[in-house]
Amino acid sequence: MSEAAPHLVISGVSKRYGAATVLERVDLTIRRGELVTLLGPSGCGKTTLLRAIAGLAPPDTGTIALAGRDVTHVPPHRRNVGVVFQNYALFPHLTVAGNVAFGLKVRGTPKAEIDLAVRRALALVKLGHLGGRRISALSGGQQQRVALARAIAVEPDVLLFDEALSALDRKLREEMQVELRRLLQEVKATAIFVTHDQDEALTMSDRVAVMNKGRIEQLAAPRELYARPASLFALNFVGLSTRIAGQVVGAQDGMVEVVTPVGRLSARGAFQPGASVIVATRPEQLRLGADAGANSAAGRVRSVVFQGSRTLVDVDAGAGASLLAELSGREAEVPRVHDEVRFAWPVAETFAFAAEAAP
Amino acid sequence: MMTRAAIVVCWVLAIGLALFLVLPLAVIAAASFSPTPVFDLPLSGASLRWYGRIGRLDGFWPSLFLSLQIALLSTALSLVAGTLAAIAIARGKLPGATALGTLLVSPLMMPGLVLGIALLQYFRMIGFTATWSALLVAHLVVTLPYVARTMIAGLSRFDFTLIEAARTLGCTYAGSVIRVMVPALAPSFLISGLFSLLASFDNYPVSIFLTDVRSKTLPIRMLQYIEEAPDPTLAALSTLILAGTLVLLLISDRLVGLHRMAGTAD
Repeated sequence: MSEAAPHLVISGVSKRYGAATVLERVDLTIRRGELVTLLGPSGCGKTTLLRAIAGLAPPDTGTIALAGRDVTHVPPHRRNVGVVFQNYALFPHLTVAGNVAFGLKVRGTPKAEIDLAVRRALALVKLGHLGGRRISALSGGQQQRVALARAIAVEPDVLLFDEALSALDRKLREEMQVELRRLLQEVKATAIFVTHDQDEALTMSDRVAVMNKGRIEQLAAPRELYARPASLFALNFVGLSTRIAGQVVGAQDGMVEVVTPVGRLSARGAFQPGASVIVATRPEQLRLGADAGANSAAGRVRSVVFQGSRTLVDVDAGAGASLLAELSGREAEVPRVHDEVRFAWPVAETFAFAAEAAP
Repeated sequence: MMTRAAIVVCWVLAIGLALFLVLPLAVIAAASFSPTPVFDLPLSGASLRWYGRIGRLDGFWPSLFLSLQIALLSTALSLVAGTLAAIAIARGKLPGATALGTLLVSPLMMPGLVLGIALLQYFRMIGFTATWSALLVAHLVVTLPYVARTMIAGLSRFDFTLIEAARTLGCTYAGSVIRVMVPALAPSFLISGLFSLLASFDNYPVSIFLTDVRSKTLPIRMLQYIEEAPDPTLAALSTLILAGTLVLLLISDRLVGLHRMAGTAD
């Protein structure tokens, strides 16, 4: 099978619990070796989708194919998936090595092979020296690694991580994000992460699926997701932004003219004149001063927050509108609170979204 | 920080209390080796003659067998019923599960005497007069709470994600239960069985109302002996029961750790 061939194909998957629709006709195709994150707020269906892939919560409709095999109705124990659970779910009555060996033992793998695979998996997560330990004698970070080793040891077709890093403290989590990505690429694993943490999503994945109300709102590479959000929800959920409500007064070639409280703005988007929209841009697009041919707005500085490599400036643009600008550390001039300032930003980096979709 | 004096006081109290609890047992054990029918300190020698007399006590063997029979049987039944009930209560999303759990455990809070009288009257009312069966049912009422309480506690601590983890690693559902849930709950199972066994074996206040002249459980028979002939034979028997209990406790401690008995977690 080629590297680019579809490895996991989810099509038209829906799931309801009583009256609540948790997944609504979800389609998702993942290539072999790809790292994909399902990102969204709690209740968006991301965990349910992961459980559907694992076979723990079969979908009501739709199909799931893994490694060229329809597994929609295959029970979890015959799917060959590896799951790292949020609380790790390590077996307390077994040692570290016993946990890692579990999947292979169940499969009836010969003992010599099990020993080799356990040693390899533990070495991979740098716990080779702790094989004989009891689980209760490990730190949270070590338990996380054991859970990973246990899932990897069975050489699954896909690795599934259910908020697997969320129980670690911030510093450890950030270290693990980088290390985990490197490790997964090393073993050429196909992996799906479920998280509500946008930093984790952007750091770990080749592609991010932003989920909302049981649907995938956008599936894109992290950079594209940030620069070209497909919906107001995606814009809000990943990164900071300036958002101004207005009405479309002109439309042409995928661009709209919008009247807003801060003035006329041009934005990318296809809307009929008269439509209510939200005009948005990313904070690092804003530059101090006016610029012909660019969008611009003026106001009074409300706050200035210095964050080391960058400075965030919040501007009250009047009529309830505000601008958020991010100035890099190299910027010579940084405004002070109460200064009257004007910011400009490129039309090509301005987007219009339907207003009624506002969360 | 505790002061030195406070620590000393604590230890003195703890040791004093332990002595207060254990000394009578030590006296019984000492008395069982007395060479004379009347226990007198200091001992004028040691003898096993009273141990030899235990087996010749009138009605001893039938009583011992009856007690063992009832204890083992009621424990076995309680383990099965109590575990199943605990699963339903801790996991089954039953309406009123908490109330049901409290109800199951409630005989523990009842004075045995009251329970005994109530059962006697009830059994008479419904015409349930077979002594052996009545005794077994009564002991079920006594032992079930021990099993239910311990198993509900054990199950509510059990993380059901472990079952899912085992399933994704290649276990069937049944296999996951056997490989993961059974080992995790084995300590609770063992401990509740032990509690239940002891509770049944030395039960007096409930049994007294349900036994008749021909079938008496061991504790009742022992009280009768003491009324008839207070010699050290009973001390010898008590010492044997004590030793048996100690052996059971030691085995349990080896297997699962006694700290779990109090319901305190690992």
